[in-house]
Amino acid sequence: MSGSKPDILWSPHHADRYVICDSELGLYRIGPVGSGETKAGALPLSVETAATLLAINSDTPYMKCVAWYPKHEPECLLAVGQANGRVVLTSLGQSHNSKCKELMGKEFVPKHARQCNTLAWNPVDSNWLAAGLDKHRADFSVLIWDISSKFSPEASVAAEKIRLSSGDTDSGLVVTKPLYELGQNDACLSLCWLPRDQKLLLAGMHRNLAIFDLRNTSQKTFVNTKAIQGVTVDPHFPDRVASFFEGQVAIWDLRKFEKPVLTLTEQPKPLTKVAWCPTRMGLLATLTRDSNIIRLYDMQHTPTPIGDETEPTIIERSVQPSNSLIGSFAWHPTSQNRMVVVSAANRVMTDFTVFERISLAWSSTTSLMWACGRHLYECAEGVGGEGTVEKDIATKMRQRAQSRYGHDTVQVWKNHLLAGGDDPQLKSLWYTLVPFPMQVSLMKQYTEDVEQKQQGSKQALVYSGIKNIVKSSSGTTENRRCWSGSDRQTDVPRFHSEERSLALRLCGWINRGPDINVEPFLRSLEGEGEWERAAAVALFNLDIRRAIQILNKGASAERGDLNLNVVAMALSGYTDEKSSLWREMCSSLRLQLKNPYLCVMFAFLTSEPGTYDGVLYESSVAVTDRVAFACMFLNDAQLPRYMEKLTSEMKEVGNLEGILLTGLTKDGVDLMESYVDRTGDVQTASFCMLKGSPGEVVKDPRVQCWIENYRNLLDAWRFWHKRAEFDIHRSKLDPSSKPLAQVFVSCNFCGKSISYSCSAMPHQGRGFSQYGVSGSPTKSKVTSCPGCRKPLPRCALCLMNMGTPVSNCPGTGKSDEKVDLTRENKLAQFNNWFTWCHNCRHGGHAGHILSWFRDHTECPVSACTCKCMQLDTTGNLVFLSRSQSD
Amino acid sequence: KMELHILEHSLKVASIAKEGIQICTHGLIKLAFLPSKTRCKFFSLTETPEDYTLIVDEEGFKELPESEHLSVAEATWLALNVVSGGGSTTNSQPIGVTKIAKSVIAPLADHNISVFMLSTYQTDFILVRERDLPMVMHTLSSEFTLMRVVNGETVAANSLGVTNGFVKPKLVPRPIIHPLSSPSNMFCVTSLDPDTLPSVATLLMDVMFYSGGIKEPGASSEDTGHIRFFSFSLIEGYISLVMDEQTTQRFPNNVLFTSASGELWKMVRIGGQPLGFDECGIVAQISEPLATADIPAYYISTFKFDHALVSDGLQLSTLSVSLSLSVCMVNCRG
Repeated sequence: MSGSKPDILWSPHHADRYVICDSELGLYRIGPVGSGETKAGALPLSVETAATLLAINSDTPYMKCVAWYPKHEPECLLAVGQANGRVVLTSLGQSHNSKCKELMGKEFVPKHARQCNTLAWNPVDSNWLAAGLDKHRADFSVLIWDISSKFSPEASVAAEKIRLSSGDTDSGLVVTKPLYELGQNDACLSLCWLPRDQKLLLAGMHRNLAIFDLRNTSQKTFVNTKAIQGVTVDPHFPDRVASFFEGQVAIWDLRKFEKPVLTLTEQPKPLTKVAWCPTRMGLLATLTRDSNIIRLYDMQHTPTPIGDETEPTIIERSVQPSNSLIGSFAWHPTSQNRMVVVSAANRVMTDFTVFERISLAWSSTTSLMWACGRHLYECAEGVGGEGTVEKDIATKMRQRAQSRYGHDTVQVWKNHLLAGGDDPQLKSLWYTLVPFPMQVSLMKQYTEDVEQKQQGSKQALVYSGIKNIVKSSSGTTENRRCWSGSDRQTDVPRFHSEERSLALRLCGWINRGPDINVEPFLRSLEGEGEWERAAAVALFNLDIRRAIQILNKGASAERGDLNLNVVAMALSGYTDEKSSLWREMCSSLRLQLKNPYLCVMFAFLTSEPGTYDGVLYESSVAVTDRVAFACMFLNDAQLPRYMEKLTSEMKEVGNLEGILLTGLTKDGVDLMESYVDRTGDVQTASFCMLKGSPGEVVKDPRVQCWIENYRNLLDAWRFWHKRAEFDIHRSKLDPSSKPLAQVFVSCNFCGKSISYSCSAMPHQGRGFSQYGVSGSPTKSKVTSCPGCRKPLPRCALCLMNMGTPVSNCPGTGKSDEKVDLTRENKLAQFNNWFTWCHNCRHGGHAGHILSWFRDHTECPVSACTCKCMQLDTTGNLVFLSRSQSD
Repeated sequence: KMELHILEHSLKVASIAKEGIQICTHGLIKLAFLPSKTRCKFFSLTETPEDYTLIVDEEGFKELPESEHLSVAEATWLALNVVSGGGSTTNSQPIGVTKIAKSVIAPLADHNISVFMLSTYQTDFILVRERDLPMVMHTLSSEFTLMRVVNGETVAANSLGVTNGFVKPKLVPRPIIHPLSSPSNMFCVTSLDPDTLPSVATLLMDVMFYSGGIKEPGASSEDTGHIRFFSFSLIEGYISLVMDEQTTQRFPNNVLFTSASGELWKMVRIGGQPLGFDECGIVAQISEPLATADIPAYYISTFKFDHALVSDGLQLSTLSVSLSLSVCMVNCRG
């Protein structure tokens, strides 16, 4: 502090006052800029605050350290430690307090002069002032003075007189006898009182940290370390202490004092100050020499340091309060995260608030929460704003999971309704996934009734996509048809093959059967009010009259568009003359039509045969319609090229309509990958790809990743049942995903699983079949543990060992047993199962036990009063239903 | 149990001839006044009528030129320091070497281990030859908890556990065999705030290097029975000064730390011929009787002679009794 190094002390009781000490002491008051109190000479500290100098004290030269009296009164009493080891009490400003006057100028003098390094007032007994001094060969380095003590005459009179004559005018104010003397022949660099007990003092000595206990001064706890400077207790955590040495800060836990619980990253320059934030838990600020930044360490996540090996994580960051080099800083005692910084030169002060880190957390249900300082903000998805903003995919997936989306395996297309029925891509996807058994049946020349069989063996048949189907197209025939309802010959060639027909069916244009009849499809489109699309499909099937009819219908329908009549009029004027005015106008004006289907209708009519780019690349037209169109009008050379191009386009954008082309193949996974990248919808991806081939598609790491993520999502939403349902669904489609057995029956004697030796196939329950579960009488039964050959437990009723089928033994109520056996075969098998009470551990064959409890409430084992069945909830149900039926 | 710290400095002990001091001043000033410019952690310079004695660690030794005027004792020395340690804090405080006379110095003398003493304002350093360290540790391990300072951190020193081959101590009475003399000027052991060092640096340089030029008015120092003796040390950041009363008066007020009793010390100079480095028991011969009589003392070894500082005044008669034998010898020679 001697000139070069200033320091700041905040008043312990007035949050608006602080003292700057460099070569002198200056008391400042901080207040808002321009407020009535602040005078013209106020120094700006920030945009909003300014400081006013209240008082200056330059009475005490050779200042080394200063400490502010901790009690309310006297208010501005300071203890100053000097270069020669003397401690002087002084004050700032006028004080009329009598106690203050009495104490003012009082000096505490050590026997041997050497620098006073540190001072600490006892926070409880404020008369106690601890001073830490440099080393002397024959003196103590920690002196605890009682500021209320008077000059003690018994102290060696002669010697005192010699010394005091040199300058001390009023010897009544000099105290030479400390209350306690500690740390002989050692140096004390830093001190702080411990909040655990008012008589515990932590001192940074020459090469160790020591805790002196004033209740027993002959004992001290100490640890050898270099980090002995600036000891300071965390105000929020009384057992946590920070100290430093050169560039390194050590954090100690006093309960485990042997070594630091952590050391912070070493700074290249020596530290000058380390201070815990009084208003924020676990925040430590550090300052190094010649630096313009303050480094902050957030130990928020380490409330209790644990273990030898695990170093808790800390978040380090730095703040720059101003551009100049920082001399010192002090946290504001009450204002959150606020500090005043004083520059190394010229006493330039800055009022600065450390901006709190923002921590952010997503909940599993799309709401977002973030915390800053003492504020907590939540951002939830708007409930009322339906339709205006699209819901987050997580919300959608959650709703869909609740509506059992993906689980309808019979009417697969219905899944799009379960998903809400408002997503055209999902609609297309699930309609695409519907007809694949039919596709296969057709491909393999199966008859219609085969379809049912295939329901059972779904896994073997995988939809491979139109792209692959038309690739293998052969025997294409070409014909030119008339416009229906007109005798005019068209010059539009149409192509036919079995594969093309299949593709048309997959696109939903035609039904099963040999004819190409789009009428049912048109009707369904009319039914849904998709007039333009219906008209376009009719037109592509060369039925202009039907198209016009549809448009008229559409115009006259409820809320119909009257413009459709105009379009119908335009259509009716169709002419195939190449240079007609109609053609010229249509090809230019069609681009102004907003509806893509109306647009492609005219594109079709005005195109040259074989060049239908206006239709094929109109991206607003559904992929199914474009594919169907292509299958009708593109030749064998053009078709695969178009398919390839469209597929890669679909893959690029992740459009699920493209699954129609790719099928559930590797290509399909690629497409799905970009869909998931775009939407995050792992739910659809999981359900869809599970229908792919287990060997190739389901095993794909991407697919496994989606599945696992979807399962995790369900877990995060606590949809345990949904997750279990999904797992069951999954294991049906992908048997390799079945979980391994998780429950085993272990032998009483050797502790090994009794299914252990027979578990070559590690699947659940396999081993148990040999213990009477399978019910086959010819199969050899195992009645002893395969590990140690000791017998298995006996049935409490028939006294036979576990593994013996129930039919072999004469049990109670045998007649009932027979009824059960005839009634249901499955129940008979269950009767052979071994069951036991989890409370008393007695048990036996399930059949025996069940019949026993039909008439009894207590355990069949004599002297056991356990009411086993009443403890079993499902058992109670069975019991009740039985007794009702009886 | 007290702790004995074996410090990490590897020390050299050297003598600079008075006529050769100017070739070393550049290095010495750097070591004494500009500690941030060197990596030296242990520096002590003592001027006696014969020469300058320099104790410096290896880092500091690099600052000095090779010269015919600079003679260096062969051995590398290690400094030992007794610390009250983690145990009790007693209120009886024997000052300086008296405290360690019986526990350290005498046992080492019994084992024929030569020691070199340096007392400072802050503490006493017992220098032993590095090669004697195993023997030192063996000798003192029963009395002390031995600690080594490694990279500034104290760690338990490995007990060597070797006892075979060590010479059994011969516990014989130790008469004072070297002549003693006592100059008439009184001495002061003091220190100052390192922050004020720059303000008195020129004065210190004058005292340290130009004493020969100042002829005190009237009589020469020989005639008054005064001895020229000044010691400056800067060890681990702590400054210690030993100077006679007349020299203290050249310093401004409030710069030097005056101890509570303002005490002055009488010097006893040991040796008629240069003592060399191999003879053992010299310190013990002096310190043991002082400890017995509970007389506080400082002890400073230099390249050629040893110097004990003992309390002035009332205790002088006790001193005479304690050291009666040697006083007798001085008289014989005188």
